[in-house]
Amino acid sequence: MKRNNLIYFVVFALILSSCASSKKKEQTISISGAFALYPLVIKWSEEYQKEHPEVQFNITGGGAGKGMADALAGTIDLGMFSREIAQEEKNKGVWWVGLTIDAVVPTISNQNPNLEQLKIHGLTRDEFKTIFIGGTITDWNQIVKEIQPNKLTVYTRSDACGAAETWAKYLGAKQENIKGIGIFGDPGLTEAVVKDPSGIAFNNTAFAFDIKTGQKRAGVDVVPIDINNNDVIDTEEDFYQSFESVLKAIAEGVYPSPPARELYFVAKGKPTKQATLDFIKWTLTDGQKYITEAGYVPINQEKINQYLEKLN
Amino acid sequence: MLYRRVLFDKISGFWMVTTLVTILLLPMIIGTGLYIKALPLFEHQSVTSLASSSIWAPNSGKFGFWPFIAGSLYVTVLSFLFAAPICLLSAIYLTQFSSTKLIQVMHPVIDVLAGLPSVIYGVWGILIVVPFTSKIAAPFFNATSSGYSIFAGGLVLAIMCIPYMLNMLIEVFNTVPVGLKEASLSLGATFWESIKHVVIRKSYPGIISAFGLGIAKAFGETIAVMMVVGNQVRITRNPFDSGYPLPALIANNYGEMLSIPMYDSALMFAALLLLVIIMAINFIFRLFIYKTREQ
Repeated sequence: MKRNNLIYFVVFALILSSCASSKKKEQTISISGAFALYPLVIKWSEEYQKEHPEVQFNITGGGAGKGMADALAGTIDLGMFSREIAQEEKNKGVWWVGLTIDAVVPTISNQNPNLEQLKIHGLTRDEFKTIFIGGTITDWNQIVKEIQPNKLTVYTRSDACGAAETWAKYLGAKQENIKGIGIFGDPGLTEAVVKDPSGIAFNNTAFAFDIKTGQKRAGVDVVPIDINNNDVIDTEEDFYQSFESVLKAIAEGVYPSPPARELYFVAKGKPTKQATLDFIKWTLTDGQKYITEAGYVPINQEKINQYLEKLN
Repeated sequence: MLYRRVLFDKISGFWMVTTLVTILLLPMIIGTGLYIKALPLFEHQSVTSLASSSIWAPNSGKFGFWPFIAGSLYVTVLSFLFAAPICLLSAIYLTQFSSTKLIQVMHPVIDVLAGLPSVIYGVWGILIVVPFTSKIAAPFFNATSSGYSIFAGGLVLAIMCIPYMLNMLIEVFNTVPVGLKEASLSLGATFWESIKHVVIRKSYPGIISAFGLGIAKAFGETIAVMMVVGNQVRITRNPFDSGYPLPALIANNYGEMLSIPMYDSALMFAALLLLVIIMAINFIFRLFIYKTREQ
């Protein structure tokens, strides 16, 4: 009799715990992928949890490629994605919504001896192309004639990622065509370029600028893009002083696109989990007010409405 | 009662054989799985041209694995050159010369080193080894380097392999009977001579297998190397240039697998290559041991 009671108790406890865990699972949203979206999604999850304390988040970085691979493998609910969705990926049944816009900016160390000159002249798209795709440039004065000979080292991302793909797209190429020392992850790339005064790289805006202060991160500087190819950075091309001014340039379309690009959530088919759908809906409506605060550029209302329709 | 015991014996015997067979089959299952996944790639290019070509352009369907194989071999050989003498000499010192107290201190130190996750070695590599390479090591050899190089990768790998090799070497030297050494000493050999001619000779197969396992481990190590090696697809002789080992290729690009055709087959082939090379390394060292035992 006693033994029977014990068995009943164990079975009951098992049923109860399985209920609890499946309910918990229903309320947990796991997200992985692009470093570009990572800070914003963290911000969103914090704000969302204030309104919906029952929802748990599980957010990891790893690059856009990881986000897409994980989403298609079904190991996560939403992938963060930061480049255009390829046709092959669409064929595999990817479902996506756009969330916001940010950009990739060319970065150098603020210890670069030619910093002042570079800020006056800027670099054109073709010059960036020779540096990143050509792979033959080893000295800064091969690019800008007026400056003293100084070694140039190109750094790029080693992991499959949106930043590199977007930057390559701007230069009319693919990530694999960028010649340079491959560093893993966005934070690592910032670190490498800060440490090497001869280095040049590219970063997501959120990793070139500090969101809290609105200034460039310690040791980082941005190479201005000479958009109209006149070899001088005009006042309207000179918007790299603060995060806010860069975001304004992106929003007004002064900063070219690419390297400005839309950021997405991706999933394998339309998500079925109600908590996930609710969260996406929230990010496209109430969540949009945190976008500027977190250092991104909002997408226009027309597009938001389109994406909201995809949710219904 | 007897019947019961026979039954139990049968069941436990069967169970043990099954587990053993599983372990034996595991490499084959992994190998076959990778081979099947890599098959589409072989329809485009032959295995030899895949392994020997050095053009890597997945978007145009060109897969040449030689830069990665060469990068892996280079980093591994370099790490072996760094680690092997250190391990051998410190193992000799610890087992033959030092006090037992020092060994008692060293064992936990080695265990801690062996237990550290490789990402810690990677971060430490970026913070210490990379600047060391660019500021001290490269200028010493009259070279310029950003620090993210084969040299840095080899150094980090060497440090990671040291605890494994050292641990095994200590075990190997401890198994040499004291009597042998005493006999040699009583014949008038000096302490160093007895170590050289008796201890090392007696443990020769053990030393080789310790080195072999160290090399196999170094060859397959991924994350720590990937963080410091520079990941540039090219073939270079200069150790201060960056390279791109096979495991890093897989780890870096598995996310891109789905957007480029044939890429998943190519990465599976890279994994297969890795498996085959590590098996070959083990096989060669086994052969070595077998030959030295025969003599």
